[in-house]
Amino acid sequence: MGSSIVKISHLRFGPASKPILDNISLNVEGGHFMGIVGPNGAGKSTLINIIAGLTQPDGGHIDLMGECLTRYSRHRLLKQIGFLHQLHDHQPRLPMRVSDVVAMGMPAYAMPWQRGNDRAAILDALALVDLEPLANNDFRQLSGGQRQRVRLARALVRKPKLLLLDEPSAALDSVSQDRLFRLLRRLCDETGMCAIMVEHDIAAISSHVDSVACLNRQIHHHAMKGENIPDDVWRAMYGEHIQIVAHDAGCIGCSPDSDETHHHHD
Amino acid sequence: MIELITEFLSSTVMTASLLPAMLIAVVTASMSVMVMAHRLSFLTVGVSHASLAGLGIAVSLSLPLLPVATLFSVAIALLLALMPKRQGISEDAGTGILFAGSMALGIVLISTATTTRVDLFGLLFGNILTVTADEKLWLYLLSSLILAMMLLASRAWWSIAFDAVTAEASGLPVNALRLLLYGLVGLTVILCVKLAGIVLTAGLLVLPAACAWIWGRSLAELWILSTAFSVGGTLIGLIWSYAYEWPSGASVVLALCGLFVVSWLVKTIMPTQR
Repeated sequence: MGSSIVKISHLRFGPASKPILDNISLNVEGGHFMGIVGPNGAGKSTLINIIAGLTQPDGGHIDLMGECLTRYSRHRLLKQIGFLHQLHDHQPRLPMRVSDVVAMGMPAYAMPWQRGNDRAAILDALALVDLEPLANNDFRQLSGGQRQRVRLARALVRKPKLLLLDEPSAALDSVSQDRLFRLLRRLCDETGMCAIMVEHDIAAISSHVDSVACLNRQIHHHAMKGENIPDDVWRAMYGEHIQIVAHDAGCIGCSPDSDETHHHHD
Repeated sequence: MIELITEFLSSTVMTASLLPAMLIAVVTASMSVMVMAHRLSFLTVGVSHASLAGLGIAVSLSLPLLPVATLFSVAIALLLALMPKRQGISEDAGTGILFAGSMALGIVLISTATTTRVDLFGLLFGNILTVTADEKLWLYLLSSLILAMMLLASRAWWSIAFDAVTAEASGLPVNALRLLLYGLVGLTVILCVKLAGIVLTAGLLVLPAACAWIWGRSLAELWILSTAFSVGGTLIGLIWSYAYEWPSGASVVLALCGLFVVSWLVKTIMPTQR
């Protein structure tokens, strides 16, 4: 469904002899919700940062929304992307209202000569994360989880064609986490937005996403919904020390001969 | 009190310096919001002290003081913006090195030059009462430039101060904007040196926003409050300076400190007042 939003071919990052990312190829279309899983240090955040235009790859090619990502096109292309980076949630210092934080996500926010402060759009984005009643509150006085949801609203307020999330559930409890994944699923289905999300825990996301890419330096497997991930892929990613634990059916990644099992890493 | 103010306003020396002082108050208040947001208060200390070297060079080569000092300050500020990245030196250490080095250079240059031309005490502690017509023109020029840039870029700077990674990912040229901000801090420092002198400049570039930080809850509120505190503090300082013959720069900085302490006390006593 939809046109290609992210198309990566033969991407490499790091020295050719010891690359951090190697030979990554992906094609993700509008409306698709993709999870990226992998062990610590697998290059998940690096890949997300490269797609977000923050890091230059050392080889390969990236097309965003059908246009080549270069130094010159990036400012324009990035306006159609929402990005929620990995949380280093120190106490925020700047006095801001919640609605002001969300307003920063508007594409024209930094250009005061353009009218960009659309109050209705800001409240809509806050409503998506159930924080509309707190629009006038002081951002510094919210809880860590609430702040994370405000940041998500900030990424969504520009109605992005592509949403990139780097471990968005880190500050959230399991109920909010589930609500977040459901929201992303709904946005992908209803608006044709494409979402790419890095997560540690495949179990938490597998029933929401359309596909899971197993990343450790390279993409070992890109499993679509209903497909299984072979044991040797798990071993290549995490080493020999993986446990297999019981899990419900219908998730991505479980073996066909024992669809009541789920691979779990420690 | 009323008598004192009418007397103050009828003094020609004071009224002549009132407009430039107010302009400086507005500009420094605006910049101080960004100085506070980007944690640049040590940069303002560093650049203001480094400007002594610029003044020293101007004195020993018999060049016009303000333009040379302006160029020098901006260059130092930009150097500080670029240096930490290149050499792996932390920004505060870099500022410390440049600050001490260029201050030393300035002192050596000025002491070897014909000392009659330079009012070293005026440079160090400021004197708005001796502002010349040329200097006024220079002040108006710099002020309008800084205020125009503030109007255009304040939201982008604010967004970078809040979350630089997201700002960059949303397509803002973060590095260029940061360089611009450092350059403008350099310019603003030169404006302040006339009013508050090298030693007290940081006071003008930190205190107004520090007062506003206690009460403000958004960029616009901070800006308005900071300007109000700055203009109020400058007026009080100049009146003190007139009444007791105190040095103008020190009086203004003292008044701003007083406003900060009062704000802080009121806030501490009535924490729910929001």
